[in-house]
Amino acid sequence: MDTHFAQRRRRDLIVAACLAAVAALVPLFVKDVYVQNIMVLTLMYAALSQSWNILSGYCGQISLGHALYFGLGAYTTALLFTKFGVLPWFGMLAGGAISAVIAMALGYPCFRLRGHYFVIATIVIAEIALLLIQNWDWAGAALGIDIPVRGDSWLKFQFARSKLPYFYFALALACIAWLVTWWLEDSKWGYWWRAVKDNPDAAESLGVVVFYSKMGAAAVSAFLVAVGGSFYAQFVSYIDPESVMGFQFSLLMALPAVLGGIGTLWGPVLGAVILIPLTELTRSFVGGSGRGVDLIVYGALIVAISLALPKGLVSVFGMLSGRKEAAR
Amino acid sequence: MTALLETRGVWQRFGGLVANSDVSISVGRGEIVGLIGPNGAGKSTLFNLIAGVLPPTQGSILFDGEDVTKLPAAERCQRGVGRTFQVVKSFETMTVIDNVIVGALIRNTKMRIARQKAYEVLEFCGLAARADKLAADLVPSEKRRLEVARALATEPKLLLLDEVLTGLTPVEAQTGVELVRKVRATGVTVLMVEHVMEIVMPLVDRAIVLNLGKVLVEGKPTEVVRNPEVISAYLGDRHAVGA
Repeated sequence: MDTHFAQRRRRDLIVAACLAAVAALVPLFVKDVYVQNIMVLTLMYAALSQSWNILSGYCGQISLGHALYFGLGAYTTALLFTKFGVLPWFGMLAGGAISAVIAMALGYPCFRLRGHYFVIATIVIAEIALLLIQNWDWAGAALGIDIPVRGDSWLKFQFARSKLPYFYFALALACIAWLVTWWLEDSKWGYWWRAVKDNPDAAESLGVVVFYSKMGAAAVSAFLVAVGGSFYAQFVSYIDPESVMGFQFSLLMALPAVLGGIGTLWGPVLGAVILIPLTELTRSFVGGSGRGVDLIVYGALIVAISLALPKGLVSVFGMLSGRKEAAR
Repeated sequence: MTALLETRGVWQRFGGLVANSDVSISVGRGEIVGLIGPNGAGKSTLFNLIAGVLPPTQGSILFDGEDVTKLPAAERCQRGVGRTFQVVKSFETMTVIDNVIVGALIRNTKMRIARQKAYEVLEFCGLAARADKLAADLVPSEKRRLEVARALATEPKLLLLDEVLTGLTPVEAQTGVELVRKVRATGVTVLMVEHVMEIVMPLVDRAIVLNLGKVLVEGKPTEVVRNPEVISAYLGDRHAVGA
């Protein structure tokens, strides 16, 4: 009975393993540092968007303030390393834990809000946090933190000469975020979250505690995004409030998932693979004019895709397999 | 043995509007009880109070011998109260079986078993063939049955049916009636709000008539329909004289 479902889940896992294996081999052939840089960013945003998708896609609580958790991860790691000499690996876990706790503390009042009001609250809270950091002298205020280079090592997670270690870490992070989503999708939490998104009243009548479900989604989502932020701090080795907690990060986490297919397993990956290279390429090829042409092109493409495929790019695969079934 | 469900002097006020005033009813184990009354009689409000959507302004609700007045809906579901909604509230982006799994998860922590259980419930409700369809793609009568299936998956002791037979074709309604009988045969107590008298009256063991927020009469369906007060509540005083 229902082997169809088990088959689909196994197929997803196999496809993901193959894609990860292929991605791992790419740097052997692509030596260009600029392209490698784009690949690192693409994988990082795939991971971030996948994490954002847990709260906003599966559980339906649209957050446009996830830059807060990204920044918290980056700052926790950077501050612990520069002020106390704590290794970034521990900083990463600490940043994740702090973000998860803060996400729940903020969720406590905010999850009583529905729809647009919740979205507005997330934006405002992230902006407040940005202002606080900008005025916090001990944390470098608006100048930010320069992470001192102490030589290449995995222990300190610093590599000045090569992008490859960052690439593999970003790949691992994307895989972890995907696997967590894959695993949660067929768990009690996954079903609860989707029920909460579709109809909270009906969910409550079936024994789902809507409030706890949202809290759980927020914690997992914030933890993973903060790990991404920690990674970014190590990757760029210099952070300031605007460059890790600016509103654009909140958007850049949401866009791949929305474009690829919100609340789907593959949407964020697909969206990131298309969107992030596009961002970088439009910036390099038409961004030099200084008139924001790159942003116009970029924006126009997003509008075009959303109009053509309102359910996201993953819906193309559904249409293709639907046609195959019809042809049989 | 004590009644499965009992409301004691329940009041519900919305500002100046009194939706339920001093409602005391009881539902025994294994019964099918119909809750009827004209529009605005307070049936849906009473339903929501029993399901725990909101606490009553005054009075208490006892379920299975315990006071559940203050408990939220999810907790009451845990204790054995299942419900459907008058306006169907399917999880539209999920498949039919996934809808039912949400209900099954409250008693089964293992996914494989919850899925198995959900499939059995779908078979029981005659929806197994639609298991992999999106809930959004079901026709209205199937959505009603999905509501019942989802509630049954929580293994309730008391099933609250809110107008599940309304707006169906006679054939669909008859299938619905048979489903309700089957549900009772498995030992589940049923309390149903219904409008369509000719369908509901042969089905229920007992009918409770609400009017203007109060219990008007209760008794055997055959007695209730002949009661002059009931006729006047539904059709106006002029018709009651002839009865």
